[in-house]
Amino acid sequence: MQIFAAFEQSIQLELAITNIQKLGIDNIYTVPLDSGPEDIQLLDTINRSDGLSLSSVGMVLAVFCSVIGAARGFDHQWGPIVWGIIGAIFGLLVGFIGKMVFYKVKMKKIRWVKGKQPDIILIIECADHEGQRVEKMLWEHAAIGVGKAVDA
Amino acid sequence: MPSFKQARRPLANVSIWGTTYIHKRNPYIVALWSATFPGFGHLLINKYVRGYFLIIWEIFINQSSRLNLAMSYTFTGDIEIAKSVINVNVIYMYIPLYIYSIWDSYRACVELNNLYILSENEPSPVKALIVKPFEINYLDKRSPIIASLWSMSIPSTGQLYLNQFVSAFFTLVVTVVFVYQSHFIEGIHYLLLGDVHHSTAVLDRQWIFYLPSIYFYGIYESYVNAIENNKLFKAEQKMFLKEKFPVKGFKFKGAKVK
Repeated sequence: MQIFAAFEQSIQLELAITNIQKLGIDNIYTVPLDSGPEDIQLLDTINRSDGLSLSSVGMVLAVFCSVIGAARGFDHQWGPIVWGIIGAIFGLLVGFIGKMVFYKVKMKKIRWVKGKQPDIILIIECADHEGQRVEKMLWEHAAIGVGKAVDA
Repeated sequence: MPSFKQARRPLANVSIWGTTYIHKRNPYIVALWSATFPGFGHLLINKYVRGYFLIIWEIFINQSSRLNLAMSYTFTGDIEIAKSVINVNVIYMYIPLYIYSIWDSYRACVELNNLYILSENEPSPVKALIVKPFEINYLDKRSPIIASLWSMSIPSTGQLYLNQFVSAFFTLVVTVVFVYQSHFIEGIHYLLLGDVHHSTAVLDRQWIFYLPSIYFYGIYESYVNAIENNKLFKAEQKMFLKEKFPVKGFKFKGAKVK
């Protein structure tokens, strides 16, 4: 029997492999999946910030607007702290919305990715009676999907 | 043990002091951070010694020239007071190094991007786990959101979460000095009690303007570094899996699609 599992890369994946090896199963194969073609990019995810990032300009603007807000706040009723915070939020929002609009207008091919992204296909070859234990182990270590191919 | 071929230009280093990794960055963002505070751009591209040098220099010259004070009076329109508080004897030293730090971080970022492109596909002999008598560092997946949330509480905790030990230490020391000297916490205290006037009066108008940059920089740096460390983790793991569990020799035994 052959078992196929899709995994997000993490330490869990290596734990799964190690635990399966402990069962005495040695026919283990991996197929790393490359991320999509160049023109398709993902927005700020756990894996990627190059190129596309909603936060980078906003953070810098937050600093500038916060400094100016705080300075002007010394002369205004609410004081520098409140105006500094208002400035920071204003800068963040301007940067964030600005980038959002920029991406919407400039790049129409953005693939908004939600949830887990498979990075690795793990293949395990084992005897039919071991199948259930292996499958359980895969699910316990955060497999995204598991499929079985019974010998033809 | 998988034996990784020695790369000509190794891109990463994992040590107990932190994880250093050359990767692609936007040079304009790096230059902008240098404009908020000389040295931050260099820290972003992992040129730490240069970055710390520029930060300490900036604090020294800003303090001795009263630049923040003058800037704050300029923004409120009190130009005459601004002119009177500034120390003419040192202020002109500020300008060349301020511009240099922006230019240098931009230039270095572009160069590092080029080096990254050249050695992107070379195997990098990076260690996934370092154990030393007093500290441990290892590659793992960490959440950029958690990292930036910690940085929001007090700058340096986000860096500590990522094992960036030196970064965290430096950031914490600088933050404590800024918060203490600016009387920021006192200001918040009176603000929460509803006494805005007292809150404004207690703040130090020279020191307070360092706070926004170090605060937001900490959030940004820990966020970006979490993501980049995750990419390094994934690259190293993929290399290991390709070496140890290659798909070579595998034959599909299931039924064929008809």
